[in-house]
Amino acid sequence: MSEFLENNQPAPKPALGNPVTRLLGSLPFALTVVLLLALACVAGTVIPQGSQVEPYLARPGGHQVLGVLSSLGMTNVFHSWWFVGLLFALSASLMVCTGRRYRAIKRATGSARLRVIGSFITHISLLLVLAGGVVRVIWGQKGMIQFREGEVVNRAESGEGAMLLPFSIRLTKFELEFHKKPARTRETPADRLLVQWGEKNLVTHFPVELNVAHPVVPADAVVGAAPAFTITMLRYVPDFSLDGSTGDVTSRSNDPNNPAVEVRVLGGGVTNTQWVFARFPEFGGDSGPGGAMPLKFRFQAALPEEVNEQGAIKAFKSTIEVMEHGVVACTRTIAVNSPFSWGGFSFYQVSYNPDDLTWSALEVVRDPGVPIVYAGFILMMAGLTMVFCVGPWLGDQRRTTGGLE
Amino acid sequence: MKAILNMTTLFNAGLAVYFCAMVCAVIGLMSRRSLFDRLANGLIVAGVCIQTLYLGVRWEEAGRAPFSNMFESLVLFGWTVSVVYLLLRIRTKLPWLAAASAALSALALAHASTFEADIRPLMPALQSNWLSFHVMTCFLGYGAFAISALAAIGFLVVSREGSAAADDTRKTLETIVSQTISFGFLFLTLGILTGAVWANSAWGTYWSWDPKETWSLITWFIYAAFLHFNFMRGWRGRRAAWISIIGFASVLFTYYGVNFLLSGLHSYAKQ
Repeated sequence: MSEFLENNQPAPKPALGNPVTRLLGSLPFALTVVLLLALACVAGTVIPQGSQVEPYLARPGGHQVLGVLSSLGMTNVFHSWWFVGLLFALSASLMVCTGRRYRAIKRATGSARLRVIGSFITHISLLLVLAGGVVRVIWGQKGMIQFREGEVVNRAESGEGAMLLPFSIRLTKFELEFHKKPARTRETPADRLLVQWGEKNLVTHFPVELNVAHPVVPADAVVGAAPAFTITMLRYVPDFSLDGSTGDVTSRSNDPNNPAVEVRVLGGGVTNTQWVFARFPEFGGDSGPGGAMPLKFRFQAALPEEVNEQGAIKAFKSTIEVMEHGVVACTRTIAVNSPFSWGGFSFYQVSYNPDDLTWSALEVVRDPGVPIVYAGFILMMAGLTMVFCVGPWLGDQRRTTGGLE
Repeated sequence: MKAILNMTTLFNAGLAVYFCAMVCAVIGLMSRRSLFDRLANGLIVAGVCIQTLYLGVRWEEAGRAPFSNMFESLVLFGWTVSVVYLLLRIRTKLPWLAAASAALSALALAHASTFEADIRPLMPALQSNWLSFHVMTCFLGYGAFAISALAAIGFLVVSREGSAAADDTRKTLETIVSQTISFGFLFLTLGILTGAVWANSAWGTYWSWDPKETWSLITWFIYAAFLHFNFMRGWRGRRAAWISIIGFASVLFTYYGVNFLLSGLHSYAKQ
C-alpha cells in the first residue's frame, strides 16, 4: 500500500465543503486535468505551431486543415484560451489539495507528518511557479534591440509595439570569437623510418627503437653475407630545436610538433649521421660527411594538424554602455549565458550577423515573476526531498531503533 | 598507463565488461548458482568503474563535461542505469535485474558507438556550468526510470497466469518500481528546474515550450500521476507496472525521439 497507508496514516480525506470544492479537491479531477494538459502538450509538439504552419499552407488542402485546427486553437496550443483554462483548473485543484494537506499535517504523526509537510510544500511550490507565470504574463515585458557599433538606443521592439527603457544603451563593441581547430593526431601507423636504396630497388622500414642496429640487406645478397649497411637510430625528439651557438639539439616540448630522429649509417665505405624530419622530408639527405650516401630516408610520424585554423563559433559578445541623463553609468560585456541586468531589465545576447560584424541583437526582458518562480523551484526541491528522502529515512531510523511511528 | 587511459580502449572495455556481466547473470539464472550472480555483480561494478574512468578522461581531454551530444549522452545513460542498479543491489537481490540492467548498459554503449565520438567544441549556449548539473540530474532520473521499467516488465512476466514465481519476488518488484520512480522523479524534477534556470540565464526565459521541455513535462506528469495513484490510492501490481512502462516510453521519446523527430532548442543533441 501507499507510504501513507503503510504508516497507518489515512490518505487526506475529501473536504466536506460545497460540491465545487469537493470536485476540485478530488484526485480524479486533478488527474483528468493533468491528463488533458499532457495530451495538449503532445498536440503542441506534433502539430505545427505559430509561424511553423506557413510551409504547410501551400500543400493541397493545407488551408482547410489548418483553418480547422486554427479555429480550435491547435496551432497556438500553449497560448489558447482552453490551455490557459486547463492551467487555471490545475491551479484551483492545487489550491484545494494544498488546503487539505494543511489540515492533514495536524492529524499526521511521526515520519508520516514530515511526508505530509513535504507534500504540502510541493503543492505550494507548484502554485508559486504558476503564480510567477501569471505575473510574467501581466507585468512582464520582452523586446528586441538591434543596433550597430556606436548606436545609442532607448527602446526595444516587441510584438505589442515599442518598449521604452528608462535609460539608453550604446553598443561600443561587438566581438565574434572562434574555437581554434583542435590539435588532433592523424590516424597513421606507428612512427617508423622508411629506407630506400634506389640502386638495389629496395624499400624497407624500421620501427623507432633507439640504439638498435637494423641491417639493410639487398634481395640479391648471398645468404649469410654481412649486411651492406647497418642503420641505428640514436636519438628521437618530438619537437626538434637546434641551439645555433652550441649546436645542441633539444626538444621544445613533448608534443610531436616537429618530430625528428637521428640516424647513423655504417657500411659500404660510408659512415654517416644525420637528422631525419617527419615534417620536412626534403632534409632527409642522401649524402653526408662520410661519403656518398646511396640510401634515402623518410621519417613517418604522427603529426598534429594545424592548430590555428578557424573552427566553430566560440562566443559572440556585445560591450555596451548604459547611459543615464547623458552620462555613462555602467559598461558591461554581454554574452550568451552571461546576461546583464540594469534598472529591472535584463539583457541577453541572442544574435549577430556574420556579414556585418558591427551589428548585434539583444533581447530585453523585464520579468517580475522570476523571483516567485525561483522561490517555487527551491520549495519544490525541499518538499520532494522531505517526501522521498527525509520522511522515509526517519521512518527507517525509528523502526530500526524501535521507536514509535 | 597512457595506453590504459586511451579512450577507445576504455570504451570497448566497458562495453565488453557489461556484455560479460549480462552473460554471467543469464548463466546464473539458468544454473541457479550464486557464483555467477556474484560474478555478474562484480562485473557491473567493474563496468561502472571503467566508465567512470572513461568519463573522467574524456572530461579532462575535452576540458568540459562530456554530456553534450548523442554519443556522450548514451555513454552517460549506460553509466546511470548501472549506477542505479548497484544502488538498488545494496538492499535487493534480483539476478535477472542484473542481466537486464547490464544488457541495457551494453546496448546503450553499443548504440553510442554508431555515433561520431570526436570531441567537438561546445556551441556558445552550452558553455555553462549548468550543463553538467542539468544533464547529470536528468540522466540519473532516466536511469532510475529505466530500472523501474525493467522491474515492471519483470513483474508482468512473473505475475502472468501459471507463473511459479514466489509472492516475495512480486512484492520485491513492486517495491523496486515504486522506489525507483520516487528516486527518478526527484532527479527528473531537479533536471527540469536546473534546465529552466539555465534557459533563463541563456535566453531570458525559463520556459519556452520547446519540444524537449514540453516532453519532459509530459514525462513529469505521467510519473506525478503514478506517485499520486501509488500514495493516495495504493495502486501497485499490474496497473502500476503499466504506468511505469508508459512513463519510460515517454522518457525514451523525450530523450531520443524528440532529438530526431522534432526540432527545437535542443536540436544539437542529435549530433
